[in-house]
Amino acid sequence: MGENGHLPPKSNIKRWLVTTNHKDIGVLYLITSMFFLVMAGILALLIRAQMWAPGATVLDPGGYYQVATSHGFLMVFWFLSPFAFGFANYVVPLQIGADDLAFPRLNAMSYWLYLFSGVLFGISFFQGATFMGGWTMYAPLNAPAFIPNYGHVGSFAAILALVMFTGSVTIGSVNFLTTIYRMRAEGLRMRDIPLFSMSILLTVWMMLFAFAALLGALVILSSDHLLHTSYFADVDGNPSSGGSLLWTHLFWFFGHPEVYIVFFPALGAMAEIVQTFSGRRLVGRKWFVIAMALVAIQSFIVWMHHMFLTTINLPIKTIMMVTTIGISLPFDLMVFALIYTMIKGRVRWKTPFLFVLGALLIFIVGGITGVFLGAIVLDYSFRGTYWVVAHFHYVMASGAVALIGALYYWYPKITGKMYNEFLGKIHFVVAFVGFNLLYFPMFVVWETPRRMFEYSAGFTFWHRVASVGAVLFAASFVIMIYNLFMSLYSDRVVDDSPWAYTGSTEWAVPSPPPTENFPGTPSFTSGSLRFLEGPEATDGGVEGEEATPDGGQVTAAADHGEPHPDHASWWPVFAGSSALLAGIGLSGLSPSMFVWPFLFALPAFVYFVGAVGARRDGFTVLHGAFLSASFLLLAVFIALFHVTQGIITGLESAPTYFWLALAGAVLGVYTLVRLGFESFYVPEPTSSAQWPFGEVENTKLGMWTFLGSDIILFGAFIGSYVFTRFEFGWQDWWHVAHEVGGLEHHPVWPGLLNTYILLASSFTVVLALVFARRGVGTTEIGPLSVENRKLTLGFIGTTFLGACLFLLNKGIEWVDLYFHQGWTFNADIMSSTFYLTTGLHAAHVVIGMMLMLFLMVRSYTGAYQGEDEARTIEYFGLYWHFVDIVWLFLFPLFYIL
Amino acid sequence: MASIKLYTAIFGVLMVLSTMQAALEFTGLLEEFYVPIMGVMLLLSTIKAVSVAGWYMHVFDEPRAISYLAIAAVIGVLALIAGAAYSIT
Repeated sequence: MGENGHLPPKSNIKRWLVTTNHKDIGVLYLITSMFFLVMAGILALLIRAQMWAPGATVLDPGGYYQVATSHGFLMVFWFLSPFAFGFANYVVPLQIGADDLAFPRLNAMSYWLYLFSGVLFGISFFQGATFMGGWTMYAPLNAPAFIPNYGHVGSFAAILALVMFTGSVTIGSVNFLTTIYRMRAEGLRMRDIPLFSMSILLTVWMMLFAFAALLGALVILSSDHLLHTSYFADVDGNPSSGGSLLWTHLFWFFGHPEVYIVFFPALGAMAEIVQTFSGRRLVGRKWFVIAMALVAIQSFIVWMHHMFLTTINLPIKTIMMVTTIGISLPFDLMVFALIYTMIKGRVRWKTPFLFVLGALLIFIVGGITGVFLGAIVLDYSFRGTYWVVAHFHYVMASGAVALIGALYYWYPKITGKMYNEFLGKIHFVVAFVGFNLLYFPMFVVWETPRRMFEYSAGFTFWHRVASVGAVLFAASFVIMIYNLFMSLYSDRVVDDSPWAYTGSTEWAVPSPPPTENFPGTPSFTSGSLRFLEGPEATDGGVEGEEATPDGGQVTAAADHGEPHPDHASWWPVFAGSSALLAGIGLSGLSPSMFVWPFLFALPAFVYFVGAVGARRDGFTVLHGAFLSASFLLLAVFIALFHVTQGIITGLESAPTYFWLALAGAVLGVYTLVRLGFESFYVPEPTSSAQWPFGEVENTKLGMWTFLGSDIILFGAFIGSYVFTRFEFGWQDWWHVAHEVGGLEHHPVWPGLLNTYILLASSFTVVLALVFARRGVGTTEIGPLSVENRKLTLGFIGTTFLGACLFLLNKGIEWVDLYFHQGWTFNADIMSSTFYLTTGLHAAHVVIGMMLMLFLMVRSYTGAYQGEDEARTIEYFGLYWHFVDIVWLFLFPLFYIL
Repeated sequence: MASIKLYTAIFGVLMVLSTMQAALEFTGLLEEFYVPIMGVMLLLSTIKAVSVAGWYMHVFDEPRAISYLAIAAVIGVLALIAGAAYSIT
């Protein structure tokens, strides 16, 4: 049994800090997102209080803009999607017949990053002021020169909170994709997975790509704040038309898919609930799935319909109008499928169904009013008005209303208790009336300017109706929280499936399900669900007695002495909290100080790899070398710090933010090292359905999906460079840098040399893999007989050396450009794009070097010798080759063309 | 998995192609034929990238779905770049 096998009972708070089990994480997501719902809801009530009368003075203008912006951020990012992913965490593994997600610790880390990103966002309110430029963060309102002084730190903290949140989402996407593709029960074909799981699959695909674009935009924006690059405002701090347009492109390339990212899980839940409470399989199920897939793809080619009022040309607006109208067609199909299923079935009017029906009606209104905004000419009038506010809420909140239905639907499964049906129905009525009172008047007084609190006095009545509706809508949630909380302590105990006509696997196990979900290995090979007994079944051996979805007899899993899966780890919560500390610290640091906490963390990383590695594998010469090198490296950084800052004056003048960032960075690297060395057993299913990734192990698929996201991240950077250069005049680019920016010379040689170095390092990684796969033994090289272990270590070491040379060469180049030629980060837009894009690449090289240090320590003890053992090197190689490939494009783009 | 000889040959080709890119810059052709030479440069980079992905990352040996995953991401990037650039023509 692994050392982390046992979980404390649910009454013990430690359980909730260390758990990696998908159901616990799901519950944590649900509770945390509800907390953010309440927070964002209170902000919404403040907005409605301000709108009670035109120009009201409940809040001052700065306060109102903060409230309106934060309401949007919290609802869109910290409530809607995480609420849906609470269900996804809990339900998807159960529906597809998996014991857990593919990477349980990463799942926990994803949650903690989410929670602490929300905490960082909350803290931003107390750092002068939080961001106030609207949830779309349009440039130049997001640029430092356009943020009031008192809100600089808080605004940047809010941006960093979003960066953290994006990290959480990316980890989650990789995890769900790997799980759904690789861990389905035997016989469960991709096309047959339940509709909620299907909707989550499509959602995480969109998340993987869309959030990478957002991450790119946020990192560039962070650079404008921290390094004073000039992407979104020019070097003098003036608005830049190219920068403003660039932001809208990056943001909406993410932002439009985000609408479907938020809505799809709700759509999946609607389909499940309609099926259950109509007692009928969804009409046109296959076409419903195809329509969802179409929307997921189309969502990436409609983004410019949010930009009709910008200076983009008419042909592209027309194309985007057509694609936008086009995307409504698959939605029509889905809506009709849901309605027709209800008509063909016999509806039972339970609370979950009522919410789904309400959500469908709301969504239809939202969809129809959205078509107006998709038409260019109408959009010229409606853009920036309350029409958009109303439409947007009818769409987004319809998803929320459906997910409230999902909460009632799966509440008995999660808690083992039935909610109070009467209170549930009261909740629905109050919520539905409140919602429409709140948002429908906004269509009536659509000429009210969005995000403003000044409006025509003639609109006052309708705004007051909306405010009354807001109070009603908020009150409905008090009923829900009361109902769900009191029901926990009721005697309304439910069995496996409290609903008739359920068809998915989660209803075939007890409520709540046991830690490892199933009483045997789930299988669909016979066409319906069966639980096969124990591990033999994975070889096609003995089958156990069958269980039925309505709670029939089940077979206990046999204990064959297999190692027990681990479910507990402290390191994910430490990873999240160290990111929080680093984020708070970073938000208040000046450009001259920000890099030092992270540089000082590097020697700490080398030290921890040596020390923790020695404790795990026994002390060796290499561990000693690492420990010694860490002190040497620290001495070098202290010397450099002294040269640039002066040790005494530098540390004396260092703000609290510096120490927080240092603490966060050091705790972060310690956490990563402990995670890397932790023994944590997660069995891969050996008999699951794995099409279309059958021969790709979980970790390899995880790495590939991560690289897919990284392609988009680099694409956002390269795309920003191409767009800006195109807008500027492609061939004038370097001439202007020479004439205006002060660039004297920018030779090809450093770029070519680094290309050679990186290609060579890719070659040596492949050789390391070759010799690792040869296993224990020796290889004859001419007259020499060399241990494969030493060759593996030697080639990883050579790759590391190549990375060092790459950075050294880059360092020499940058010192020449920055200090000798005075071509600083903000000399011109050319320097900003050059330093930041190649800098992002260099950051990837540094991360690769940290991974190599870890690999070197482990390969020294022969940990990677053998076909299976060598896989870790293969996974690292995928990352390293990708870094190489990116450089192959940066080289011509930044050094030749 | 390919042999060391093949890996070495690919490494050699990658180095030669990179040298060709720099050589094109030194010939001065870029000044005269900017757009065609830019096309050649990007083509050479693409050939190198496909070679690294295909042989060093073993994409040629993996199920097609891995290629589709990467291609989907690249198409996303191209859509963003092409759409954004075209929008300001």
